[in-house]
Amino acid sequence: MDDLLADFVAETREMLEASEGEIIAWEANPSDRARLDTIFRFVHTVKGNCGFFDFPRLAGLSHAAEDALADVRAGRREPDSTMVTAVLAIIDRIAQMVDAIEAGKDFPDGGDDTLIAALENGADQGAASAERTLHEPASALLETGNADDQPEKKAEPTPQAQRSIRLPVDLLDRVMSGVSDMVLARNDLAHRLRSAGNQPTIDGPFERLTSILSDVRDAITRMRMQRIETLFNGLPRLVRDLSSELGKQVMIDLDGGDVELDREMIEMIRDPLTHIIRNAIDHGMETPADRLAAGKREIGLLSVAARQSGNTISIVVSDDGRGLDEDLIAEKAVASGVITAQARKKASRDQILELIFEPGFSTAAEVSAVSGRGVGLDVVRENLEHVGGKIKVSSTTRVGTLFTLQIPLTLSIIAGLTVEVSGQQFAIPQSYVEEIVLSSAKSLDYARIGETSLVTFRGKRTPCLMLGEVLGISDDELTQREHTLVMLRLASGHLFALAVDGIHHHGDLVVKPLAPAVMKTEFYAGSTLLDDGRPILLLDITNIAAKHDLVSDARNRVLNDEDGRDEGQDRDLVRAMLFTDFDGRQSAIRLELVRRIETVSADSIEESSGSSRAVIDGVILPLVGLPSGALPADRIRLLRIGDGGCEVLLAVRDIKDAVALTDKLKPVAEDPLVEAVTLIEGQQVALLDGHELFARYGEPPEQLERPLCRLPDGDWAQSILGPLVESAGYQVIAADDNTEGAISIMFEDIYNVTQALDQPISGPVIRLRDQPDAPAHENTIYRYDREGLIEALRRAQAGGQA
Amino acid sequence: MNELLVMTQIAGRRCALQAHDVQSVIELGNITPVPGTPDFIAGIAALRSQALTVIDCRLALGFDAAEWETDNRCAAVTVGGHAYALMVDSIEDVSTGASEPSQVSGGFGEEWCRVATGMIETGIGPAILLDLEALISGSDRSWNTFSAAA
Repeated sequence: MDDLLADFVAETREMLEASEGEIIAWEANPSDRARLDTIFRFVHTVKGNCGFFDFPRLAGLSHAAEDALADVRAGRREPDSTMVTAVLAIIDRIAQMVDAIEAGKDFPDGGDDTLIAALENGADQGAASAERTLHEPASALLETGNADDQPEKKAEPTPQAQRSIRLPVDLLDRVMSGVSDMVLARNDLAHRLRSAGNQPTIDGPFERLTSILSDVRDAITRMRMQRIETLFNGLPRLVRDLSSELGKQVMIDLDGGDVELDREMIEMIRDPLTHIIRNAIDHGMETPADRLAAGKREIGLLSVAARQSGNTISIVVSDDGRGLDEDLIAEKAVASGVITAQARKKASRDQILELIFEPGFSTAAEVSAVSGRGVGLDVVRENLEHVGGKIKVSSTTRVGTLFTLQIPLTLSIIAGLTVEVSGQQFAIPQSYVEEIVLSSAKSLDYARIGETSLVTFRGKRTPCLMLGEVLGISDDELTQREHTLVMLRLASGHLFALAVDGIHHHGDLVVKPLAPAVMKTEFYAGSTLLDDGRPILLLDITNIAAKHDLVSDARNRVLNDEDGRDEGQDRDLVRAMLFTDFDGRQSAIRLELVRRIETVSADSIEESSGSSRAVIDGVILPLVGLPSGALPADRIRLLRIGDGGCEVLLAVRDIKDAVALTDKLKPVAEDPLVEAVTLIEGQQVALLDGHELFARYGEPPEQLERPLCRLPDGDWAQSILGPLVESAGYQVIAADDNTEGAISIMFEDIYNVTQALDQPISGPVIRLRDQPDAPAHENTIYRYDREGLIEALRRAQAGGQA
Repeated sequence: MNELLVMTQIAGRRCALQAHDVQSVIELGNITPVPGTPDFIAGIAALRSQALTVIDCRLALGFDAAEWETDNRCAAVTVGGHAYALMVDSIEDVSTGASEPSQVSGGFGEEWCRVATGMIETGIGPAILLDLEALISGSDRSWNTFSAAA
């Protein structure tokens, strides 16, 4: 409670400070509406807060002032200097009282009634003649009031020592940009150090600097964070006021107040959240009698919970009210032309519920005092989308409604993807990116319909924008050459493709605002600096889509979602990745097996004795499907398939698309690697047998199960042979370890002795000899023949015996 | 009177900026062009971790930038909370204003009138005192050509 009180005092004083100028300006010109509003807001807030804290005198004063000001605002009363004076005197009294509250003292009784009486309409009648003179003493009162209490305020230090300090956000921003500068300077230094070569005396301290800097950066980022509690703290009062106003009983349950997010973001979601809570109480909650009749507790429960997951915060507002009425919403939507009656018939319940976020929609039958003032949920959604957030609703009739708000942690640091077009780089917020598709125009079934371009993605025609064309820096159509498509999913659920020349990297971007003249283009949301200090522009995906009319109205929204539903029904079907192999054969592999699509350069592929391997992300993986002979291209497209444990790379000439196998699968006996053949769009396609593929080529990750190799005793074997065998990927065991399946390396003489004694040797054996020249018909390997040894190990593992 | 001025040459004319407005004079490195903006916005550049919007003052005043050499030095200014770099022919000197800005009968010509606070006498001769806000908003003509092209 002390915290709340301190907050109240701080807030009131802050508002006093802020409105001081306004008060004086208003005194000079009482008809100034904007000033009047500011002062009205101030007394209104004070009144509200007082009700919460039980300060009857403060509440009485602010209430009287609010009434008088409300009359002026409503035009029932002309502001005159008497009234202005009286209001000012009250505001000053409020300031004095707040000081007293903070000091934990009682404010001397009396005087309030006089101040309130001065506001009365009658008072100015009586004083009309003496208007001028009355004005003077009142301001004098204001001055003396100040003079009396000022010393007291200064002399008394705040009793509770606060462990937090208030800082201007500007200062934080300055510190933050200072740290960003330091990071850039560090990057520059790192670059120079690298080019200067290894310098152990410098590298150590530099590493330390780097780690300290990243700590500081984290801390600074956290400084901008605030617990969502600050937002939650105001909610109980809001709920209390609303429910008593509406004759309902509502209990609020808050959870997750310790979740932290950017201060500015908290301000951004304050209004949307308030709006949703208002709606819930006004429309969602039934009256106590209705609740009892429906077999519920008469007190409704409204719960607000915040959760952080990665870079987003989700706030869930749920009530146990009557739930959303699907039919009513649909009726309204049809009546107001948001959707057609035909679309309504096809739409699912969820789609109908989503309509409440459409512009021009309000379910409140009559505009009530609390909500339904025309500021609808469409504004809420718009505001949230503006900061990169989302809102969803789900509801069960008679059980309740649940709103889910998803908002990014901070506005200033976002995960982003850097793309290139016509030699220039741009950043795209990662949150929009659904998928990245590398393909040729042909396989994407690129089509230009009128002025619109379409590509086929997952069997659906999807609008496609050329980034170069959008920005007016290049106007080449999507030609036959390879293109990279970034599939972007808008907050509204629409999908579109953005064609770019290439993808650079992704990472956290510190976003800086842009000048108004640049913002005017509506292409950009901000700028950010690359690691090398070059600035690049962050694209405003929502606006770009809106400019090209990709964000269609509700009618299409419903239709589009319908496609999504069809897809859901297809789920029982086998989905497969369609590709052409190097023999030109159309093949497919079950989609669940495909982990990723990789592109590797030819030099990371190594071929030896009939098997190929490729290095991807530092891991060596078996590679199948390559044609014999020279590699067909500099860069090879690979499907990385995995069964959970093993991974195999499948080299392909061209990747087509993911398809659903609707036709019958006809098993094939001849080729063990092919599970079945089927028809896709009239063409015969071989579906690869995942089981056989893994059985044949699958290699478990090396670290887990390395083949064993038994070494002979002795120093030479331990220190010279051991490392060589280990580096070839084997786990070394001692000579007396009898584990099954291990390959044994033995010196020839020992082998001969063992053979002579008829001792069994489990597993394959590699025999080593001491002389470089092999005696005839001896199957041994010279002990310093590195290649021979490794080759023998490989063969031994493949099943043969050296 | 007696205020410090940064003297520059824009399209061969001597112009003065109030030194108070100029944060620093910087040498411009890489400028990232901003597609979709009128040509007087040369792009964005980085000053430490700050992003500056680079305004080519010659183009903003309707001149052809190609006709005028630039020494690549820019005045970094802040207008409305945003940082800009003003690309000029050259930055000459810092001087003291010797008079209040005054108007000249006949004006300075349409484009110059838009951006001029007035003529000011300085230690190195008369100059046009520039109004930053008007300068960075660019000429109407450049916006018009721009929207016609778009």
